[in-house]
Amino acid sequence: MLEIQKLTSAAGAFRIQDISFTLTEGECHAVIGPSGSGKSTLLQALLGVLPAQSGSILLGEKDITRLPIEQRGFGYVPQSLGLFPHLTVRENLVYSPRARRISLETAQPLIDQLVEATGISRLLDRKPETLSGGERQRVGIVRALASQPKVVLLDEPFTALNESLRRELWWLMRDLQQQRGLTVLLVTHDLSEAYFLAQTMSVLLDGRIIQQGDKATVFGRPVAGDVARFLGIETLLPGRVVNENDGLATVEIGTTKIVALAIPDRTKAVFVSIRGEDVTLQNPDTTLTSARNRLTARVVAIHEGSPLMQIALDAGFPLTALITRPSFQELELNVGSTVLALIKAPSIHLIARDAG
Amino acid sequence: MNLRTTTIAAALAVLLLYGGLILSLGWFFDGASLTNALWSERTLFSIRLSLMTATLAAVLALVVAVPAAYALSRFRFPGRSLVDTMLEFPIIVSPAALGAMLLIFFNNPLGDWIQTHAIQFVFAFAGIVLAQFVTILGVATRLLKTAFDGVPEEMETIARTFGASPRHAFFSVTLPLARRGLLAAFILAWAKAFGEFGATIMVAGTMAMRTETLPIAIFLRLSSADIEGTVALILVLVVIGLTSLHFTRRLMGGKAHA
Repeated sequence: MLEIQKLTSAAGAFRIQDISFTLTEGECHAVIGPSGSGKSTLLQALLGVLPAQSGSILLGEKDITRLPIEQRGFGYVPQSLGLFPHLTVRENLVYSPRARRISLETAQPLIDQLVEATGISRLLDRKPETLSGGERQRVGIVRALASQPKVVLLDEPFTALNESLRRELWWLMRDLQQQRGLTVLLVTHDLSEAYFLAQTMSVLLDGRIIQQGDKATVFGRPVAGDVARFLGIETLLPGRVVNENDGLATVEIGTTKIVALAIPDRTKAVFVSIRGEDVTLQNPDTTLTSARNRLTARVVAIHEGSPLMQIALDAGFPLTALITRPSFQELELNVGSTVLALIKAPSIHLIARDAG
Repeated sequence: MNLRTTTIAAALAVLLLYGGLILSLGWFFDGASLTNALWSERTLFSIRLSLMTATLAAVLALVVAVPAAYALSRFRFPGRSLVDTMLEFPIIVSPAALGAMLLIFFNNPLGDWIQTHAIQFVFAFAGIVLAQFVTILGVATRLLKTAFDGVPEEMETIARTFGASPRHAFFSVTLPLARRGLLAAFILAWAKAFGEFGATIMVAGTMAMRTETLPIAIFLRLSSADIEGTVALILVLVVIGLTSLHFTRRLMGGKAHA
């Protein structure tokens, strides 16, 4: 449906380079990256606000790389939403069909369906300034969908909302996307949002896409240290592979050795990436476990997060575990306590260090 | 005196100066003279002429200023900064000099040709409109540029992503969002044109019942030592001017720098 090939574009001194990815029909793809990674520049290049210096954008069979903004056929929900303040909600919703010269008889049934599905029927005669944050988001989404765009571009549309409202709108967006088979490109720095809404994703860092794939692979198997850092993996340390046997690698971190799944390129210098939720804590006298890595560790600090507790450990190297509150109480943990940290070999992801 | 007291005293001094000037008119105020002056055929002609020329000049100024201000607000083009600088030209050059320049232009071959084959400007109705137009065009463009600057460019981009052409986005989004600034620019330009004297007298002269706008009528009455009549006409000008400022401030939400 949307195919971007080696797209390069610049906003002032900053540029996005050789961006390539494909969206199939009915898919939600997230481009994730920290602030300043080039997400907005990418969107502006797709919308036609910034010219493409090289590469191409294909929408369906059509090359839209050089087309003006109004002929590209995207539905767009910007971060600011950009509802036209001088128009009522109803006038905002019919703006696109009118501008595209689609008769209201043709457009109205879809608008009515979307208005019904998003529960904004009582807002139609109101001006945007009188709406709450959540209502404005709903109107913004319906407006973007009103002219049946081939692809909907979402630019961090839920960032400004409180947590509960965000989750409510994620569900709404996911229902709309799945029920209507919408093709959506979501640009966000919010990992939870991307994980919830998207099926596939690209990680954008410093204007380049570093990793692409289905969301489970991207989140579970970052290909570079920078990606792992952005994904917020709690433990990311340099290590050295000292032995490989039967698909398992023994890795030395300082003086401590752990066992992980070996990586294909047989690199010795690696980053060891361990997600906090993959570290299980047990009493030191526990013997029954199938985990390959049994590390005696001392509790260094305890951070009360929600809903998980973050436990900083010294296991010969700094290690972070995320555990539930009941587990925390059951283990009677305190700073200075000794625990057994269990990590299964497949839960330890090795990243070749020359990958960044 | 502390800073607050000093600065407030300075602000009140401004009010005292202008308010005092207006109040001082009362010294020569005479109800009967005011009525006579106001309802005289010559005064009514002056008011009518000023209303017509100021309205025409303000409309023409907006016809040019709206696209010019939009270009200055949105686009980078060769000569942009020069155009931007020239907006203040009518302010730094005195209106009399501006009028003299127009007069000199109409004595050039091109100006002479225009007068002979198109429209007569010198000592004519069109000359008054032109003098006022030239005086107010810069300020109207400056005010409109500020109004367009206040409309986020993103709004136009969003409108275009919904299929609107740049022209459609301008008329359906930008212009309505700048409407307060547009109205304020019109009112201020109109008020300035209504009170314009220097350029008008240079181009159109002081012909009674022909090119005698309200400010020129004031000048002529003062020249003939008709103080009461002068006061009456000044009061008309003051009332119209202050009413315009009041509406402009209301439109701009109290932010007009009039």
